[in-house]
Amino acid sequence: MAARIRLLELQLLVLPALLGIVGLLTVYLSGTGTTRWTWADIWVSLAFMGLVLGTSVWLSLIGFSGDQVLFPLVAMLSGLGLLLSQRLQPVLRDDPGWATLAQRQLIYLALSFGLLWGTLTFLRGLEWLRRYKYTAAIIGLGLILVTMIFGIEIQGARLWLDLGVVTVQPGELVKVLLVIFLAAYLDDYRDLIATGYRLGPLTLPPLPYLLPMLIMWGMSILVVVLQRDLGNALLLFGIFLAMLYIATGRVAYVLAGLLTFALAVYVALHLFSHVGVRIQVWLNPWSDPLQAGFQPIQADYAFAHGHIFGTGLGFGHPEFIPVVASDYAFAAIGEELGLLGTVAVLGLYLLLVTRGMLIALQARDSFVRLLAAGLTVVLGLQTLIILAGNVRLLPLTGITLPFISAGGSSLLTNFLIVGLLLKASESVGERR
Amino acid sequence: MSWFIRTAALVAATAIVAYGVATTEDRTDPRWLALLLMLALLWGIALWPSLGRQVRTMDRTMVHVVAAFGVGFLLVGAQLVRVQALDRERIQSRIYSTGTEVVADPRRQALEEESQRGRILASDGTVIAETQMGDDGRPRRVYPFGPAAYLAGYYSPALYGATNLELSYDAALSGRSEARRLREWVDGILNRPTPGYDIVLTIDPELQSQADRLLGGRPGGIVVLDAHTGAVLAMASAPTFDPNQLSVGTTASEEELTAARTYWESLQQSNDGRLVLRPTQGRYPPGSTFKTITLAGALESGLATLDKVYRDEGALTVDSRVIIEQNRPDPNRVSYTLEEGYGYSLNVVFAQLGLELGASRLTEAAQRFGFGEPIPFDLPVAPSALSVSPEHLTSPAGLAETSFGQGQLLVTPLQMALVTAAVVNDGQIAVPRLVDRIQTPAGEVVDQRQPETWRRAMSADTAAQIERAMRWSVEQGYASGAQIPGAIVGGKTGTAEVGDRPPHAWFIGFAGREEPQYVVAVVVENAGSGSEVALPIGKALLEAALQR
Repeated sequence: MAARIRLLELQLLVLPALLGIVGLLTVYLSGTGTTRWTWADIWVSLAFMGLVLGTSVWLSLIGFSGDQVLFPLVAMLSGLGLLLSQRLQPVLRDDPGWATLAQRQLIYLALSFGLLWGTLTFLRGLEWLRRYKYTAAIIGLGLILVTMIFGIEIQGARLWLDLGVVTVQPGELVKVLLVIFLAAYLDDYRDLIATGYRLGPLTLPPLPYLLPMLIMWGMSILVVVLQRDLGNALLLFGIFLAMLYIATGRVAYVLAGLLTFALAVYVALHLFSHVGVRIQVWLNPWSDPLQAGFQPIQADYAFAHGHIFGTGLGFGHPEFIPVVASDYAFAAIGEELGLLGTVAVLGLYLLLVTRGMLIALQARDSFVRLLAAGLTVVLGLQTLIILAGNVRLLPLTGITLPFISAGGSSLLTNFLIVGLLLKASESVGERR
Repeated sequence: MSWFIRTAALVAATAIVAYGVATTEDRTDPRWLALLLMLALLWGIALWPSLGRQVRTMDRTMVHVVAAFGVGFLLVGAQLVRVQALDRERIQSRIYSTGTEVVADPRRQALEEESQRGRILASDGTVIAETQMGDDGRPRRVYPFGPAAYLAGYYSPALYGATNLELSYDAALSGRSEARRLREWVDGILNRPTPGYDIVLTIDPELQSQADRLLGGRPGGIVVLDAHTGAVLAMASAPTFDPNQLSVGTTASEEELTAARTYWESLQQSNDGRLVLRPTQGRYPPGSTFKTITLAGALESGLATLDKVYRDEGALTVDSRVIIEQNRPDPNRVSYTLEEGYGYSLNVVFAQLGLELGASRLTEAAQRFGFGEPIPFDLPVAPSALSVSPEHLTSPAGLAETSFGQGQLLVTPLQMALVTAAVVNDGQIAVPRLVDRIQTPAGEVVDQRQPETWRRAMSADTAAQIERAMRWSVEQGYASGAQIPGAIVGGKTGTAEVGDRPPHAWFIGFAGREEPQYVVAVVVENAGSGSEVALPIGKALLEAALQR
């Protein structure tokens, strides 16, 4: 392939670069009152910028013809995440010894970029993935089961596998595997599922073809029960419903699904006290201000303190919120960048979703279309659930904020999704 | 969908947001959540993409999913606007406390907020209260000017809240004012701390020191006013408390907290009303100073003139009660004009006058001076009362003794100062003012208080008559000790009987160069006769005021 300059992408990358430089400047100004930087202060930012620019140049060199907006969006969001970890690092002091918070985040980002390059280099199209739909489903189920049995509990949710060196969240990968399976399955049986059987005047749902779906539904309820994780259950089920709707266009399925899910949650509420506590704390954190309600109360204080323009990076006190780097990254943004900052971040995610769906719309192959749409839904729904939890639109769940929250597993997975989306967009380019 | 339906949905959505924000307190109020559901529906209608029938299923559904995400993100945005802009003050001020454990916004307790609390200054800039940074880097509220410290009150956010000016002007001191809303709002948005405003008092620090010194720790209260403007020049109270020992901030150490608690306990145990501001909250029988009001009632109703002659034979029997006259200058003289009766403070004369006047007209006269109403003032006030039980005045004996200042009367020194002020201010009472202006730390005036009239207590003519009587009392009567060479002085002493204990000593008076200007009211509890104890204090203060 001949090299071609990705000019739009390069132009858009100016924004994350500016964010990185100005952000770092204010963080250091607020802390020390000086901008005299040493190499140790800025190598993390420079390395990140190098990764981003290198990736874009490399894409130009190999003549990659895919989407040019997606990557700058991701660079912006992950740059903001890195900036946040640089800002929180001096006040959080949760140093495992081998690297600081920002350095760890940079290492995860480097690995994620590696994954992105690998995806773009070695995958030849995406159509072949459909052949492995049952493999994907089985691996996904296996990962869920393994986590349930061997997983360790952190903050009341059993989502982590301890591999000795690192702890990973297999649940992150399950989402991608689920989308691959659903895309392939729905593409194969779409028409049958959409129409159903006719029995005289009645239209019956095509039960045998819905069965794999119902298994999925059961699994996600099981996740609530066994992993104590409402957020992931909602996410898995939401992906399932959204893809079912995209493939069939049947609103009835969505409504029926939502109704049964609500019913199941209602039952879970009465069977399991921890779910009830979550709801209670969501509706009124002041009912238990010293224990379960402490975190949401502190997050509320942080948001309220930010007001319209925020305190400025480095000038607030996000360290008062427990687990700010993962669960409440958005509250830290709210305090220091204000309502303008939070709405801007909201806008970035909405652009990401729109762009992802545009790639899906323009793809040629119907499986790739479904795959890209599903992956976009994964990103959007994750974002929506955690943000809604942060602003108390929904009960808080342990889902991470894509690209911004600290954490390796989710970063790797989300970059894998971006890689797949870029790959899907490349087939668009070839059509023209 | 037509543009009309979309517009209607948007308008309805906006109305729902406004209604919800106005009627719900919290973002997770179930009613607000229900409104959000409706909002999602309306936004969905407004944003729903209109796609033609020829669009393929999967294209259409994908666009629908994006629209649904848009609505979801808008809902997050609605919650964000509430938490970051609309509900923020409510959220930030919410506190939970069990007594040992407190959940509050730690940011509010950040040092800079307290260190920027405004100062309280005397009229010449003498600092009465300010926040200083300690050597340990922690702010402390200090009250360097002892004689006026209790007027400032204490500011003790960690333990006892605030009192007096620290309480009544808390908004201005912490940087909020009516006049500069916009500026403060902009500061809030830009996250700039608005420095607290300084409040400048009308207090003259030299007069205040002198008043405090003259009281000398004896229980009692003193008020010195400018009769025409209502400006309080001095206001002394004793015994009192040291706010320096109570003012512990949220960053106070454990020792400071313990010391403050110990001091608070000692205040409670001393049981001598150290936290009561006697000039405005102390209520005393006024003794003969009250004759001023009886006189005003009589003159105002046309019942008597200053020249009307009354008999005083040394005793008067009302019902079964005998009023013994001890104040006659000459035991052989039995007839006195009303002016002489006032100047010699003859109880028998005023008992007769009161009986003539009757309960309802006496009550009306007192009410016109503000009895029974809280005086509008910058510090907490207690209303003065003509009697504890309303029936007291219905008996002739009760009416008679009330008329010369005994009975069940309970009056604050500030009230008596205002009575005197009315006399020299043509019958009008100016609103007493302790705060002259509110200004920025740089001295830019934000709010200048202007003199205002509180009420008309009597006609200008009556006021002139009483002024004459009060001046006669100083020139020829029992208040002659108050004479100041080269100045117009008027006054009235009072010796209020209080059961078995020594009487309260009272003095009210005025002085001026060309015309009366300054007014004083002094009470010293259980200290003896008014002319011996209270009058010298009042005279010294009037003299000092004339030399300002």
